[in-house]
Amino acid sequence: MSDAHFDAAKTKKSFFAVGIALFVFTVVTVVVGLVPMFDIGAPGPDAADIILGLAIAGTKASLVALIFMHLNHEKGAIYKLMLFTTIMFACLMVATIFAEMDPIKEQFDTLSTTSGVVSEVR
Amino acid sequence: MSAAANTISEVAESESHHEHQIPFWKKYIFSTDHKVIGVQYGLTSLCFLAFGFFLMMVMRWSIAYPDRPVPVLSDWPWFQSWLDDNGKVTGDLYNMFGAMHGTIMIFLGVVPLGFAAFGNYVMPLQIGAPDMAFPRINMASYWVYVIGGAMMFASFFIPSGAAKAGWTNYSPLATVTDHQYGDLFWTGQTQWLVSMVLVISSSLLGSVNVICTIINLRCKGMTWMRMPVFVWATLSTAFILLLAFPPLEAAAILQLVDRMGGTSFFIPTGLNVSGMPLDAAGGGSPLLYQHLFWFLAHPEVYVLILPAIGIVAEVVACNTRKPLWGYRTMVYAVLALGFLSFLVWAHHMYMTGMGPAISSFFQTTTVIVSTPSVILVTALLISMWGGSIRFNTPMLFATSFLPMFGIGGLTGLPLAFNIPDLHLHDTYYVIGHFHYVVAPGSIFALFAGVYHWYPKITGRMMNEKLGLLHFWPSLIFMNGIFGPMLIQGMAGFHRRAFDGGRAYETMSQQVYAEPGSFLAVIAEKLHIIDPHAALTMIDLNVVTSASAWLLAVFQIPFIINVFASAFVGKKVKSDNPWEATTMEWATPTPPPHGNFLTPPVAYRGAYEYSVPGAPRDFTPQFETDAELIAGSEHTDDPDEAAVPVH
Amino acid sequence: MQIPHEVIPRRDTGLYNAKIGIWIFLASEVMLFGGLFSAYAFLRLGVQTGVDNPWPWGLSVHKNFVWLGAINTLVLIASSVGVVFAWVAVKERNWKRYQRYMYFVVACALTFMAIKSVEYYSKLVKHHGIKLVDNSVMEGTIIDRSDKIEFQGEKISFNLQGALPWVFKDFESGEFPLLTVESGPDEVVGDKIASAAAFKAWHSSGRAKVMQKLVDERRRYRAERDAGATPKPVSVNSSVTLVATAPFKVNADFRRLVMHNATALNYRDGVKVEGKLVTDAVRFQVHEVDMQLVLPTKQRSSVVWDVIGSAEAKQHFFDKQSEKYAELKEYYDKRGGIIPDKQLRGRFLNVQYVHVPIDEKSGGENKSAQHDSVHTSDMLLTAGGGDSEGHVGPSKTILVPRDKIKFMSNHGPRYGNYYGIYFTITALHGIHVIFGALVLLFFTIFGKKMFLENPDHLANRVEVGGLFWHFVDLVWIFLFPLMYLL
Repeated sequence: MSDAHFDAAKTKKSFFAVGIALFVFTVVTVVVGLVPMFDIGAPGPDAADIILGLAIAGTKASLVALIFMHLNHEKGAIYKLMLFTTIMFACLMVATIFAEMDPIKEQFDTLSTTSGVVSEVR
Repeated sequence: MSAAANTISEVAESESHHEHQIPFWKKYIFSTDHKVIGVQYGLTSLCFLAFGFFLMMVMRWSIAYPDRPVPVLSDWPWFQSWLDDNGKVTGDLYNMFGAMHGTIMIFLGVVPLGFAAFGNYVMPLQIGAPDMAFPRINMASYWVYVIGGAMMFASFFIPSGAAKAGWTNYSPLATVTDHQYGDLFWTGQTQWLVSMVLVISSSLLGSVNVICTIINLRCKGMTWMRMPVFVWATLSTAFILLLAFPPLEAAAILQLVDRMGGTSFFIPTGLNVSGMPLDAAGGGSPLLYQHLFWFLAHPEVYVLILPAIGIVAEVVACNTRKPLWGYRTMVYAVLALGFLSFLVWAHHMYMTGMGPAISSFFQTTTVIVSTPSVILVTALLISMWGGSIRFNTPMLFATSFLPMFGIGGLTGLPLAFNIPDLHLHDTYYVIGHFHYVVAPGSIFALFAGVYHWYPKITGRMMNEKLGLLHFWPSLIFMNGIFGPMLIQGMAGFHRRAFDGGRAYETMSQQVYAEPGSFLAVIAEKLHIIDPHAALTMIDLNVVTSASAWLLAVFQIPFIINVFASAFVGKKVKSDNPWEATTMEWATPTPPPHGNFLTPPVAYRGAYEYSVPGAPRDFTPQFETDAELIAGSEHTDDPDEAAVPVH
Repeated sequence: MQIPHEVIPRRDTGLYNAKIGIWIFLASEVMLFGGLFSAYAFLRLGVQTGVDNPWPWGLSVHKNFVWLGAINTLVLIASSVGVVFAWVAVKERNWKRYQRYMYFVVACALTFMAIKSVEYYSKLVKHHGIKLVDNSVMEGTIIDRSDKIEFQGEKISFNLQGALPWVFKDFESGEFPLLTVESGPDEVVGDKIASAAAFKAWHSSGRAKVMQKLVDERRRYRAERDAGATPKPVSVNSSVTLVATAPFKVNADFRRLVMHNATALNYRDGVKVEGKLVTDAVRFQVHEVDMQLVLPTKQRSSVVWDVIGSAEAKQHFFDKQSEKYAELKEYYDKRGGIIPDKQLRGRFLNVQYVHVPIDEKSGGENKSAQHDSVHTSDMLLTAGGGDSEGHVGPSKTILVPRDKIKFMSNHGPRYGNYYGIYFTITALHGIHVIFGALVLLFFTIFGKKMFLENPDHLANRVEVGGLFWHFVDLVWIFLFPLMYLL
């Protein structure tokens, strides 16, 4: 980044603030994961915890990407490149999982599974 | 040769004078010059193509004559250890050669030739760049490829032999193959994975370089829409390689860990191997491997075909002396092809029990992806309409590309739908289909490229007569190989039967020519079948195999042509022997290190042929209007006044 | 020749070459890790409850590792901050400060790798699991590498056409018996082999001889056939038997065996060793028992209780299970719902790793004070029990008979898909950390000249190196919750 108006003091301040925020988020995610009191959803980890954990991770990641990697003020070519990559990444993630859990096939699968066999252990 | 042309080469001589101090190994072996690397890539990949072809010829013997010993090879002591006591091809050998034929042809042959060799040599010249953006990474890319290729080649000579689980290397078969060897690392299957990781890394380095060069090193005036189609095709290919190869790298790493570290990413629970439960934790998914593999391997098809289409576009435009019809459309089609190729991969997996929703999605995208391909072929066809075509060797190859690629593409349509695919899956029909795309398609276009740019690379023309002797038999025998495959495939012949489907044929007895009929009589005359027998599907094996061997024979003129013309070929009269318009012809011949004597400027679009009112039938990108007129007044040598002499 | 735009950005794109290059490279890295993350999701969602190895849910396996992971996250974040500050320092033309920040970054990378290796070491060496024939799982530590089969060999027979026999790697280290070739092709009978190197040389020359003989035989065969006679079948004797002057010790890796019995070891590569079995039972220190792959009705009669042989431990296990069940029931009763099957079967009730306390009555035979002390001193590094109190006491050492074992492994990549993907991704990430640190170190040590000549070029380099470093940090930000917390 070799823009003419480069304000070192301001940049440093924002970098420092982001660093502190990342520290705080890390602590938050550990506390939410470890301390039973903050456990959301059913006792122990479940889908709600995963969503929360990934949301925190996502926030941290976007902070790093936006501020540290200056994606908040980057040139057009790089946005285009990253947009394309993001689409492909999403495609890879979603379609493979979608292929495993086909909505139409799922209906037939649920018919054949033995639902409720282990409803009560004792 | 005019006086001015002399001056150009003299200037080139003096410009590159300081390079005489560079030692030989640095100039030609560990070179950072994109042109040397391009030629290195080209020669290496041609060697691999020849080797892959050799593997296939042995396989074809086994298919055509499973009960006869292999001629010649069965006398070679080291080759004998692969054959059975009678000197016949064993099933293991067939599997090994089959797997390695696919791998070598695709990853070490066609991709490096199309993308790396031509992309390296021609692309920077066409955009007017002095070199690639990262010359040293470029060199690294080549040498990583060489190491990977050498490992792949060397794996034939270790006790286990090379990989034999198909070029797709599906798990769990590929994971458990060769497990009887104590040291799993030194087995062909593991070596395959390691060398694939290297080859993939090489492609990644190459594509980073190509994309960056195209974005940042275009010369003055070379706007996006003035770039030749080949550059667009290379850009699109580079993006495919960049984003599709890493998932395969991930798959290769996971499979490597499966083999070496005993994990079970691709091993399902309770897998038994030869009657014994496999000692692995289980819980993995073979489907995952297929997803990761085909996420690469379908876009890979477009890696094979896009540079080919780019080359054909260059050759066609130059030799029809007409601008390309629908340049913009073609550019968008190339980009769309690059994008859509990522969304179709699971059509290779209809047999895996995919659900109907997801398979409808992939059927739809597969049909959509054929649209840009059709646009490209149609645009090229229309470009020829009404042109005064020069049918020299490159143009012959480029012209025949169109129908061959057309057959390849159209035979793919039945495979796009899951119902016909269930019948055709893994038959010779599939083989015929994709070979039509890649062999008489891509490889013909690459031949066209070699003939077209050879004068620029060496300063000498290739022999036209030998070229014709190369082209016509190749065209005939290519069809002789792959045409029968389509027929056999529809009859249900399986691709992996090393005896060519004897057992299947005995069961089905599909007669297609009664004794005494025209075809049967011809077949008798050719000693393909016994007298008075009916002609059955299996007799086509002989036709295919014979065509393959004859095809090999008629590659000899090409090999002679490539090597001999560099020394005895006709010298080019000017720097622009084909009278083309694109930027690469502005350089001295052969181009020195740094390519252009003065920083080039692009004044117009890439294909200004037969412009009304222009002094000549071609209006090069690199000449100002004044230079154009000056050039045409004195002589028909286009470069006489084009380059100012310092 | 000068490549344009190496330092000065191109006017229309606004970028210099290296920056485009690194972003393109990062795009491919996104796809590489994307492939691995999609593998993670695919494998995790694809676990069939009760059939496949369960995904270690939550903190059930490694509570103590969470802190190591969290510290590593903080270390990497700190290093990321360090890189941007170093970049600002170059921008401000302050060499000293730049160098200091860069050394800080490299130190962070080293700390990261050190913590990582502590974690790896603990998982690979200190923790093992044994799955018994009825799919019940014991977690603990295998003592003295007793997962290997101790065998006293006298005779080795194999086929010379194959590759180098693996058995020679299983010899007890430093001991190579004097071997004599008892039977085999005439050329090699009577050869004496005294060392591993000599064996290798002997093997390769013998193999060449046999192969040559095979070629000759086949020539003869074909000549006879072509002459019209019925040829004598090709036969080459290539199986050899080596006899040792004195019995030698083999510590056989069970993964390379097809089968073994009291008198013979059969290797996967076709090599047979004859002799006497010393012992094949595994000495195992049980920490926890995990029953989630056993049907609830069969849990009380599981093989694992016979193997452990402690009524107290069994009681403890089922007490804990009822406790968990009550907790879960309370939660769902409060909300007026029934407990979902998935929760009941997969994650909570059966998955619970229950600590098996020491039982003095029957735990005597193999337990030694030494083993226990080793265990307690490493307590910090052990993965704690699943019970939320995290209490781990001294554990019992037992003998597990080989025929009761279905599968055993350390907590390395083999142990299950979670461990596999954990090791693969973190190792790949570790390679990135090392590579990035080396590049940054290079910029620090050899950057002075460039700093004086063309500071903008150095700033660009640091920025590009920093982009890579931030990406490595970014991957870890996702890895931490995915691998440690969720």
